[in-house]
Amino acid sequence: MILRRFVASVAIIFAVVTLVFVLIHIAPGEPCPSDEPVDPAVCSELKQQFGLDRPVPEQYWRYLVALAHGNLGYSFSLRRPVKDALVETIPFTLQLSGAALLIDFLLGLLLGIYQASRVNRMPDWVLGNITLFIYSLPTFWLALILLLLFAEKLGWFPVGGASHPIFCPAGVDSAFCFADRIWHLLLPAVTLGLVGAAGTARFQRAAMLDVASQDYVRTARAKGVPERRVVLRHQLRNALLSFITRFGLAFPFLLTGAVLIETIFAWPGMGRLAFNAILTRDHTLVTATALIASAVVVFGNLAADLLLELADPRLRVRADVTTEIVTV
Amino acid sequence: MTLGTWLALVVALVLSGELVRALRQRALRGNRDRWRRFFKHRTTSWGIGILTFLAIVALAAPLLAPYPPNQQLDIVQLKNHGPSWTFILGTDVLSRDVWSRLVWGARVSLGIGALGALVAISVGTVVGALSGYYRRWVDTVLMRSVDVGLALPRIFILLMVVALWDGLPFAALVLAIGLTSWFGTSRLVRAEVLSLREREFVMAARALGMGGARVIFRHVLPNAAAPIIVSAALGVGNVLLLEASLSFLGIGVAPPDPSWGNMIADGASEIYSAPWTTIFPGLAIALVVMSLNAIADGLRDALDPREEPA
Amino acid sequence: MPRRSSFFLLGVLTVAALAGCERRGGCTGSYCGTVINAALAEPATLLPPVTEDVVAGDIGEQLFLKLADVGMSTNTVGDEDFQALLANRWEWDGPVTLVFHLDPRARWQDGQRVSAADVEFTFNAYQDSLVGSPFRAKLRRIASVTQRDSLTAVFRFRERYPEMFYDAVYHMRILPAHLLRSVPRDQWKTAAFGRQPVGSGPYKFVRWQSAQSIELVADSTFFLGRPGIRRLIWRFTPNLQVAVTQVIADQADVREQLVTPENVQRARAAPQLKLQTFRGNVYTYMGFNLRAGGDTSKPHPIFSDREVRRALSMAVDRASLVKSALGDLGKVPPGPMSSLLWIWDPEIRQLPYDTAQAGRILSARGWRDHDGDGVRDKNGQPLSFHILVPTTSVLRRQYARLLQEQFRMIGVRAEIDELEFSVVTQRLQSGNYDTSILSRGNDPSPGSGITQSWTRAGFGGSNFGRYYSAEFERQVDRAIAAPTQDQARGFWRAAITTINADAPGIFLYSLENVAAVHKRIDNVQIRPDSWAALLRTWRIPQDQLIDRDRVER
Repeated sequence: MILRRFVASVAIIFAVVTLVFVLIHIAPGEPCPSDEPVDPAVCSELKQQFGLDRPVPEQYWRYLVALAHGNLGYSFSLRRPVKDALVETIPFTLQLSGAALLIDFLLGLLLGIYQASRVNRMPDWVLGNITLFIYSLPTFWLALILLLLFAEKLGWFPVGGASHPIFCPAGVDSAFCFADRIWHLLLPAVTLGLVGAAGTARFQRAAMLDVASQDYVRTARAKGVPERRVVLRHQLRNALLSFITRFGLAFPFLLTGAVLIETIFAWPGMGRLAFNAILTRDHTLVTATALIASAVVVFGNLAADLLLELADPRLRVRADVTTEIVTV
Repeated sequence: MTLGTWLALVVALVLSGELVRALRQRALRGNRDRWRRFFKHRTTSWGIGILTFLAIVALAAPLLAPYPPNQQLDIVQLKNHGPSWTFILGTDVLSRDVWSRLVWGARVSLGIGALGALVAISVGTVVGALSGYYRRWVDTVLMRSVDVGLALPRIFILLMVVALWDGLPFAALVLAIGLTSWFGTSRLVRAEVLSLREREFVMAARALGMGGARVIFRHVLPNAAAPIIVSAALGVGNVLLLEASLSFLGIGVAPPDPSWGNMIADGASEIYSAPWTTIFPGLAIALVVMSLNAIADGLRDALDPREEPA
Repeated sequence: MPRRSSFFLLGVLTVAALAGCERRGGCTGSYCGTVINAALAEPATLLPPVTEDVVAGDIGEQLFLKLADVGMSTNTVGDEDFQALLANRWEWDGPVTLVFHLDPRARWQDGQRVSAADVEFTFNAYQDSLVGSPFRAKLRRIASVTQRDSLTAVFRFRERYPEMFYDAVYHMRILPAHLLRSVPRDQWKTAAFGRQPVGSGPYKFVRWQSAQSIELVADSTFFLGRPGIRRLIWRFTPNLQVAVTQVIADQADVREQLVTPENVQRARAAPQLKLQTFRGNVYTYMGFNLRAGGDTSKPHPIFSDREVRRALSMAVDRASLVKSALGDLGKVPPGPMSSLLWIWDPEIRQLPYDTAQAGRILSARGWRDHDGDGVRDKNGQPLSFHILVPTTSVLRRQYARLLQEQFRMIGVRAEIDELEFSVVTQRLQSGNYDTSILSRGNDPSPGSGITQSWTRAGFGGSNFGRYYSAEFERQVDRAIAAPTQDQARGFWRAAITTINADAPGIFLYSLENVAAVHKRIDNVQIRPDSWAALLRTWRIPQDQLIDRDRVER
């Protein structure tokens, strides 16, 4: 069972990479694989060097073969092997996504639970409108506003970047630099996570209310079991389940939203890398980032599915739940 | 702002307010259960009101905008002026009236939102219906494609398409956005169709010898309308945000024509000296998306009887 | 201490205390100091001959030395105003032979002596077509460079002209032959040396954190004097806004160009910054492509017509555009030059701003609005073209929109293509564009820059539009060869008048630079042609040290 799903996941990633590969190679105009002006003679030599003068199917085959050997290719826009560039940027993206997810779910969960416990009263109404507003904001707009407010006007946070250039240039190699990294991470992670948190809060609230009206809760109530305990236990359990579902669904959003946030905050992550790669038509880099991105999404979903099944064997269904619908 | 445009603005505000109020009264007094549930929460009414207002603004743009949106009024004297009585939302770095651009930009942004969502919903519905109805290999093939589609970061593909084929016409942009946004809807529709498929009226129709397409379109889909409509409402908001993101990255609507997204992009570099050029388009987008979400909430309440607050 | 940095300090120190702080700092004295430069685009390589990138050049100034360099007056004629660097003396051995004597104290950062063999090697590398150096054309008047002995290098020129000394010393940074000889010439662009350079300059390379920063440390044994600032860090930011914000928020020490009046206003309000103006060496123009896009053998359907180009130039109110976008920080250039050049003369004849005349000329050439859509057309083709502009420059994008509107008012439709910088370069190189807004940085001498961009020598190089005028080239050659500056001035006037009349581009603005520097830094010497050239003379007095200066690492 798991094996079949694993194979399916690999097939999906394969399909994604093929699609991206084809797209970038059939795009009109064959620019020079170089980031500086070169004259036509050098250009055709460079093309030969990168194998760009061969027909597309052949290029595809060669790419697959290289991939099988673990060779991700050479990026001409960065002038280094793709693997090196990715190895440097992926940790940053993971840090940002991880922190954002943390803020998203912690805040969202707490808000949703609180709202559900005060349903239809003032706090619920106020929070409900606030979350609605935040959920509707364009993330990049929020990023600009937060940057203006907290970095420029108040000076509480750094203006972009991932680490202090003097004290921590070699990454996180001490407790001090760990703190420094968090200080740099806070603003972009909050931006990414806040909008997500608003969505999670709305979702959780609805899910918890849904549980509260279920038969088994009513039964327990009728039986005289203390309502709070029953409701809370079932609500939390259901919350956990939908949490796991949404966890798997949150991945693509984070990778998507990350491009804009990374650009605005100068965060050296994979989103920005991919964006620049597309604009400079750096074939190898683009396909490699597509590979990584889709792998993260697909395996994230798979993990979420498996966790879901483990948590509740009754729910041995594929997570055909979309982000909008409230029912289980 | 000229007298004429002030008048038009007031008329638009009053019109949308009255429309919503009238609808609400009728719904609350009437005996249609769904309508009553829809208008129960105040936020839904506000949502409809705001959306109506913005729709009127977009449609009546020539009446509401005192200046042409692309006209640089006086690049030396009127650059980066804050909100005032003449320019209620101020001027931008090229001395263009922000209010006029917002009004004309509403056409572009809302238009892209509606059209893009239309494409997405249509394709998603068809795929989901076919998949749910015919099942077996049709289902497998289609749903695998949906999996592939969901695995792709959407902005990634859009970036590639738009950035690599430069000089794409407006319609192609809308199409591209629509064609990358239908995956969620298809899953939704599929789930609904799967459950509806086993209902008696469907079996009856099939027993009567009705062809598949006919069964789907005349019997199954109308009953699956609820989630589709909700999806559509939310879809417009998503497309709007997507267009804004693309314009911010420089690959959406081309200058000088305004769209709310590229207004934010243009204003981003002036955010310290003229923050109003960024704030107002962002608020406009937030308002629209908020209204749509509120309406979707109301629709869910109205169309899904299982939902019951504790 | 400014409130912001004290808050940061408090916050970080608190966390550090909680996390088990380590001892930081300890450098005291007059040779401490860290200067963080809020830089823009990250360079691809630091190897001088293969890159024209501005940031690479600034960093190159610290790592590598030239034989000699211009002084603060940026006078390029003769050799009196030059500063000795690697060469401590020189003499003329005949009308076209220049002999340099290297300073015996000069050392490469790996310990080896700098010798004349390095000079010879450098010249050959710069001239090698396999290396493909963009500076090659500037060295074409030098016939050969040979070593007479280990400390004597001999330059032989092809002809005699006033700026021989300048050409010999200004363009080349001397490279270590013993480290680069083994690298195949056609791989210099991607050589590992470019990411870990070793030079003979006042600063040594420490580390390069990809997409984030490059760090240099002072060489305390530098033979021309120990640099005052111990550590230099170039921190990369995605755009000008973020860079300026960093400097204002006291997270960086230097921003060498604030560019816009709004940024200057913001910087003025920051208590820890002082502003310094210096003549700019950058001018920006909208260049017409005189050949057909995609096929350089055919003339461009619109812009090959000189009258049309002149009309379009007359339709642009350059003065108002400068006033709007730059305020007092820019000037309308009288030709393809920046205000740094001595040939700057507002009296030179330029095309006037006259929209009526522009309209008349266009109509006379057959461009009329036949179909009433507001855009002129001829034989069914609309007078419509694209303006190519890189996304990285906010100012150029703003100008593109301003120009678009100016053209619209005389019935010309311009569409703006905003593309990524390297894609723009690619399309310029292949001639696949209509017009583009380009910025050029001038050398202190008009000869090299103008030749590079506006003559046949620049075909395949910086002369993207392929402008060629035999008359203009003759006048330029005469100006370069003129024996006295007064004569040269006259010839340059004639040449600029010619090119203005031909209108191969609309010369939009020349920037006046305003730099923002942290108050604590003393002796801030900024040479107008290259702001970072004298970084080694900057100092931070002992009583002004702040925390980031004291870091011992």
